[in-house]
Amino acid sequence: MPGRRILITGSGSYLGSALARALELDESVERVFGLDTRAPVGELRSTELIEADIRDPGLAGVIGPTGVDTIVHNQIVRRPGPGMSARRAHDINVIGSLQLLAACEQVSTLRTIVIRGSAGIYGAEPAAPQFFTEEMTQLYPLRTRFQRDVAEIENLFGTFARRHPAVTCTMLRYQHSIGPSVRTELTQYLALPVVPTYFGFDPRIQVIHEADALDALRAAVHRPVRGSVNVAATGTIGLTRMIRLAGRPTLPIPAPLFANATAVGRRAGLLDFSPDFQRLLRYGRGVDTARMREGVGFTPRFSTAGAVEDYVAGREAGQAVAA
Amino acid sequence: MSPAARSQPSPVGPVIDFLRALRTGLDGGDGLPASLGGAVLALPRDARESLDAVARRLGGRYPEDDWGFDEEFAEAALPLLEFMYDRWWRVQSDGVERVPAHGRALLVANHAGILPWDGTMMGVALMREHPLPRTPRFLVLNWAFELPYVSVAMRKLGGVPASPFNAMRLLEQDELVAVFPEGVKGAGKSFRDRYRVQRFGRGGFVEIALRTGAPIVPVAVVGSEEIHPKIGESRLLARLTGAPYFPVTPTFPLLGPLGIVPLPSRWRIEFGEPLDLSSFGPEAAADRAAVLEISDMVHAIIQRKVYENLVKRGRTFV
Repeated sequence: MPGRRILITGSGSYLGSALARALELDESVERVFGLDTRAPVGELRSTELIEADIRDPGLAGVIGPTGVDTIVHNQIVRRPGPGMSARRAHDINVIGSLQLLAACEQVSTLRTIVIRGSAGIYGAEPAAPQFFTEEMTQLYPLRTRFQRDVAEIENLFGTFARRHPAVTCTMLRYQHSIGPSVRTELTQYLALPVVPTYFGFDPRIQVIHEADALDALRAAVHRPVRGSVNVAATGTIGLTRMIRLAGRPTLPIPAPLFANATAVGRRAGLLDFSPDFQRLLRYGRGVDTARMREGVGFTPRFSTAGAVEDYVAGREAGQAVAA
Repeated sequence: MSPAARSQPSPVGPVIDFLRALRTGLDGGDGLPASLGGAVLALPRDARESLDAVARRLGGRYPEDDWGFDEEFAEAALPLLEFMYDRWWRVQSDGVERVPAHGRALLVANHAGILPWDGTMMGVALMREHPLPRTPRFLVLNWAFELPYVSVAMRKLGGVPASPFNAMRLLEQDELVAVFPEGVKGAGKSFRDRYRVQRFGRGGFVEIALRTGAPIVPVAVVGSEEIHPKIGESRLLARLTGAPYFPVTPTFPLLGPLGIVPLPSRWRIEFGEPLDLSSFGPEAAADRAAVLEISDMVHAIIQRKVYENLVKRGRTFV
């Protein structure tokens, strides 16, 4: 049996590069392709890099010749970084997925698509089920732009999967990643010298350790299932407890003033909270992970509290080296 | 609750001793540092352990379960809740031993008052008078989770947003779950109707019990009706605060935050015989007629118990 050929979009992200590196060492994988306009994080040995923009209408011409059987779609912008407009993030997320799917139509060898999506689709709601299962996306209206983007991406891939029964589409809904190396909205939040919180709120937060985030992608590549799968560590942690573990003082801000106060911080270039993240800080979110364990057969090594502790330990070690 | 957790010192009580020692030092003319040192040294061993416990909590090293229930917080709050139970409302409970000592069960109670004091007092009754004390999880009206601090306290004491998904999951984990099927209608009933148990929604609690095979334990609470006697309501304030209704009582909002202090009525809580529904099987949850019939039956039992206990209680306040 010939080895697998896998294409990773967004291979210039931390997780995309880490996945490419892991698949290079995987004996069942013959070739790894990385699609991105950015250079990979760290060194890659045998990954064949394709420099192309995912929004490019010529994407089919680039992906077609690779003859891949698996595509890992890892280019979904969770939060527009510095210098990226909300509009551009939306384009990459929705138009990018659309172009990718148009290209997928041309790849007759394709059998598996794994998408690194987001549990952000559930939103953060005061009276929500404490553990969202995969069917519960319709309980609340989509309140933010990112939520609507994710919902649209899920729709696009869902339609594609129905039209192409030979292709298995796995939509992984990730909670926020945390760990010593990865930089996410959450790790940047916990690294602030004083951490703003909502006065009188202490929501339940659930994360996934960066190593588990990578292993979940690998597990889904090897054992894809149809439909959506939540990806998160076991258990939840109160926000206050998380910040205390991180050893940071909090600055409680009354809810009606929170948006204004953080907008001041944004103009000063100190912090940048997306609307999704603000709701998360107020109401929190937990997801059910039975499908991940039983369907994909993946069990994370770190619990939510363990992942936070590892992040803190890694950060302290990093500071010691820097000093 | 495990015995190990029980023996841990609570961080609340000794704080008062500490402050008293500190004041004595300051009154005696010592400087602040000397008084502080003296106050710390004067603390008994268990109090110093309490300080350690506070430091441990501030370091984030305390347990919370998946639902956000914080056992240490619940323990620390127990003295206050016991004060409310013993002195303030002089609660008398009957039939606590009828609540199953282990495994899943659904406590179904009547509800009054905007803050879930009745659920909390049921919890205290179970903690103190049950042969095998257990902490119930209670479903809380959704909008409580929009309120600062109320939301945190609810979660840490075992409250969970009132969603059928949450109730099902808790019961599948063999927890004891308390529900108030009257919902907002119960919390918002006028003083004149205070002892009349309102309609039980659409019988969702029966469906949950049937699906999970949990027995239903009817509970009647008398006394919670008088703690915030509602004489009217304000549409405007309700809209401003986002509350489903905004009660006006003789003391609230007239006295401001003080008006939230509940009146010291006398309470009775009676736990009824558990109703075992397992013979119906989980399919019966889809049978509308059966669900509504069981719901009406539970409603009738609770209403009867409320009237019985009302007579037994005698006078309301003294």
